[in-house]
Amino acid sequence: MKMGQHITISVISVGIFFALWQIAATRQWVDPLLLPSLTDIGLTTEELLADGYRQVPLWQHVGVSLARALSAFSVAVILGIPLGLLMGLSEGLSAVLNPFVQFLRPLPKIALIPLAVVWLGIGEASKFFLIFIATFLSVVVGANAAVERIGRSRIRVAQTLGASRRQIFLRVVLPDALPELFTTVRLSVGIGWTSLIAAEMVAASSGLGWMVINASSYLRTDIVMLGILLLGGIGYLLDLLLLGLQRLFVPWAGKE
Amino acid sequence: MAEQIALEDVSLQFTAKPHAFTVLEDISLTLQKGEFVVLLGPSGCGKSTILNLVAGFLQPDTGRVLCGGKIVQKPGPARGMIFQQPNLFPWLSVLDNVTFGPRLSRHRKEDVNAEAMDWLARVGLQGFEHHAPWQLSGGMKQRVALARAWLPGPEVLLLDEPFGALDAQTRLMMQELLRSAWLETDTTLLFVTHDVEEALFLADRILVMSAKPGKIVEEIVSPFGRERDIETLAEHPQYSEIKHHVLHRVRQEAKRHLNTL
Repeated sequence: MKMGQHITISVISVGIFFALWQIAATRQWVDPLLLPSLTDIGLTTEELLADGYRQVPLWQHVGVSLARALSAFSVAVILGIPLGLLMGLSEGLSAVLNPFVQFLRPLPKIALIPLAVVWLGIGEASKFFLIFIATFLSVVVGANAAVERIGRSRIRVAQTLGASRRQIFLRVVLPDALPELFTTVRLSVGIGWTSLIAAEMVAASSGLGWMVINASSYLRTDIVMLGILLLGGIGYLLDLLLLGLQRLFVPWAGKE
Repeated sequence: MAEQIALEDVSLQFTAKPHAFTVLEDISLTLQKGEFVVLLGPSGCGKSTILNLVAGFLQPDTGRVLCGGKIVQKPGPARGMIFQQPNLFPWLSVLDNVTFGPRLSRHRKEDVNAEAMDWLARVGLQGFEHHAPWQLSGGMKQRVALARAWLPGPEVLLLDEPFGALDAQTRLMMQELLRSAWLETDTTLLFVTHDVEEALFLADRILVMSAKPGKIVEEIVSPFGRERDIETLAEHPQYSEIKHHVLHRVRQEAKRHLNTL
């Protein structure tokens, strides 16, 4: 299927979904309290843009959440990729760290909330920590696996051309792992974005995750829906952005 | 002529249980400088293992492997290698692939680019220097691999069934290309194949191997001379006789191998 065709079909399918939603809500097939119509959500959006939610403008909720997530992502990627690569290259380091990584990775990060609050308080630090830890562990595991999947034969070619161990790492292992690392970062950012809600459950007073949880206690499903659409949409855009970067930096991925 | 490569009473066991067996048994062979030698044998006879020993990827259990009179301890640029797969670096352009070796030892790009362009012209890839490897066909990729291995001027080039994955027509062109490139240099070539016709066209000397344990069972010195034409080689008075003999010998070894399985 051609790219254009694919996109057209996707757009149509989403259009039909929203149309059905709108019809179901306006004809009141479903209680409007449970399923507000798209026009209602539109009006709410206008209201929130003008007056904000709980005295905080909507764009600021979005900004706060993005800032929390992106700062945690960056640190997680910057620390996680070298550590994961080193674990992949060194049996010893892998043996030391693997038990901790494998214990923490499947642990639901919500379970860490009480601890994060006790240790780091209810400020930004605990939110940063929760998003960071989720992203970081996934990056480490992915980068570790990326090393294992590198072709031995390209390393052999470099050896017969006289490359030293250091040169092999910098000029063969690293670029060879790049496509896999990009995929790892995409997956990890998805996981990190998911834990944003969990992080903002920690006594926050702003952010998209907090807005959704707070609005739900007042049965404002329209605001909950808006928050969900924004969270999902931003997550989607982040992934598209990373995909674009991947196409730009590793144009050879999947073409061999 | 000087001795370039020597294997002296080399044996190698494959020890992984429960399939432990002797891969190579008392192999002795020498290659003179500038010689083109083909190792011919059925699959599993250990011919690639010999290449890996000469390259330095493996160490023999007993015996010695010498290159230029020195014991081979690890892989190095004196012994270039070409594999069945081109194994190009997909993140580099064709030109940067070819100059990968010299650029490792602090040669400036500009200094080696001219030489690389000569090599690309020699393998018929002028105009492709800025292409990405994944934009090339299989045969073109292998020609880049050839230029990449040859450009740094190795004393020995080891070729492990380099044309095995190519279609018949491309394979013939690559064989001609390889032989004419070799005639222009003084590189020693050790070429592994199970294709008898390929061996006959390429080699100064053919070493026929048996399997399990791998041994050299026969040596055939080519009567075809330096200048060869791949289209008329079959008309050489001795061609069919030698071909029959070699085919028979290889088949014999392959059958014997089957019986021991």
